[in-house]
Amino acid sequence: MLELFTYDFMQRSLLAAAMVGGLCSVIGVFVVLRGLAFVGAGTAHAAFAGVALGYLMGWPPLLLAILFGLATVWITGWVEETGRMKLDVSIGILYTTTMALAILFIGLMKTYNAEVYGYLFGSVLSVTSEELRVIGGLSILVLGLILVFSKELYFIAFDQEMAEASGVPARRMFFLLLTLVALTVVVSLKTVGAILVFAMILIPASTAYQLTHSLMTLTLYSVIIGVTTAVAGVIISAAWDVPSGPAIVLLATTMFFISVLLSPKRMRRAALAHAQ
Amino acid sequence: MPDSHEPIIRFDHASFGFPGVIALKDISLSIDSGEFVGVIGPNGSGKTTLCRAVLGLMAPVEGHLHIFDCACDELRCHHRAKIGYLPQKGVVDRNFPVTVLETVMMGRYGALGLFNRPGWKDREIAMDALAHVGMDAHKDTALGHLSGGQQQRVFIARALAQQPKVLLLDEPTTGLDITTQHNVIELVEHLHDELGLTVLLITHDINMIRSRVDRLVLLKTRLYAAGPAAEVLKPDILRQVYGKDLVITEKDLVIVEDYHHHHSSLNR
Repeated sequence: MLELFTYDFMQRSLLAAAMVGGLCSVIGVFVVLRGLAFVGAGTAHAAFAGVALGYLMGWPPLLLAILFGLATVWITGWVEETGRMKLDVSIGILYTTTMALAILFIGLMKTYNAEVYGYLFGSVLSVTSEELRVIGGLSILVLGLILVFSKELYFIAFDQEMAEASGVPARRMFFLLLTLVALTVVVSLKTVGAILVFAMILIPASTAYQLTHSLMTLTLYSVIIGVTTAVAGVIISAAWDVPSGPAIVLLATTMFFISVLLSPKRMRRAALAHAQ
Repeated sequence: MPDSHEPIIRFDHASFGFPGVIALKDISLSIDSGEFVGVIGPNGSGKTTLCRAVLGLMAPVEGHLHIFDCACDELRCHHRAKIGYLPQKGVVDRNFPVTVLETVMMGRYGALGLFNRPGWKDREIAMDALAHVGMDAHKDTALGHLSGGQQQRVFIARALAQQPKVLLLDEPTTGLDITTQHNVIELVEHLHDELGLTVLLITHDINMIRSRVDRLVLLKTRLYAAGPAAEVLKPDILRQVYGKDLVITEKDLVIVEDYHHHHSSLNR
């Protein structure tokens, strides 16, 4: 078992998983609190369409994934801001449209391309050094921006209109948050795949949400859960020869249900209901 | 009470709304520094639109609105930070995972500006604001664990942490029991007197505020009346706005009902 950790591929995988787990769990706090869960899912499928187009045309897939992801979140944000359509409706339309495009692009490919499916289902064990550098660079960028603008991002997650009224440039911060969600999705595509990246964003923050009433503690718990489950999922994947994406997500889901059972919030609600 | 009575908010024939829908029409109104103004009117009368306009979230489609001698659409973030705002109950997720102190600290963010982190002085200001509303002992309590009245106090403290010149309260007593409603209004009155804040209080509860405000502003898409309560709360004006006859009882309570029915039953 310990021999596994001596392999280069395993070291790269663990590093990629830790970075992606940490990144997704931090951005997930804002996604959960601001109610943008569906945006994460929609962006993931849009980014996958970008990857498919990249492989079809021979263009850089990650670059196209970023462009597709950004276009999706910006259009969604603009539509919501102008009050033309509810956010869940616009993201639903873009979600299915980009997925249709992805299927079309894959259909147009003359031969079966395993790498494309790697982005759909995730294959952290095959992460290359170059991909690791891209993941590292984008992770530093996203986490750096979150650190710089954390107080504004927390405030818009709490109440965007109140933040705007208080003198915070809330609309610009909302678009920054959407941009960071898109970049996080792209960073995570290779590791957990387009289908499961959404869970990596949502589950650690939702698990932490059960355990605390403080924003700072929520973020800390989310990161611990995100990194731990991602790294443990990779180890399970390598040790038992099961796909890495599902291993990470199912582990995170297990932690979520345990946290619901042990949730002080739930226990308090139950105690209050009993008292009444 | 402050000595200066310079206009701090000026509506000059201002109309607000969207193309084809006018929520407030031709409003001319000046609110002086240090005034305590109550804004009343039936549902859909434009009270919340007035609130959004004062917050700089809505520019007039016609006319002008000046806040702190600055045109509304030129209002910058540091101007907005001078308006402490208490939104309607229910607009904010009261179960958001946040402590009382974290909530109040958010009031510092606008004034701090981007790239600046809150420091010990901001924490001191937040704690001072909590002390003003009598909630400093609860600083580490989860917001969701507090009662409705306590949460309102925390949100008032968040507004105070902005060190505002204007306190704008949108129906602060909605959903609270009678005692808590009185406590919240008494707190606002106390803050107005002690800190010399200009207070703009939007409410449906005429009886609760009529004896406490300097002026009442009565809206129904247009500005029907503005002035001391006795001048605004006249049966003929209220009838036009509320569409019902009104009774002002011996105890100065305003009751919206069928005046003729009430009058005939009194004579019986």
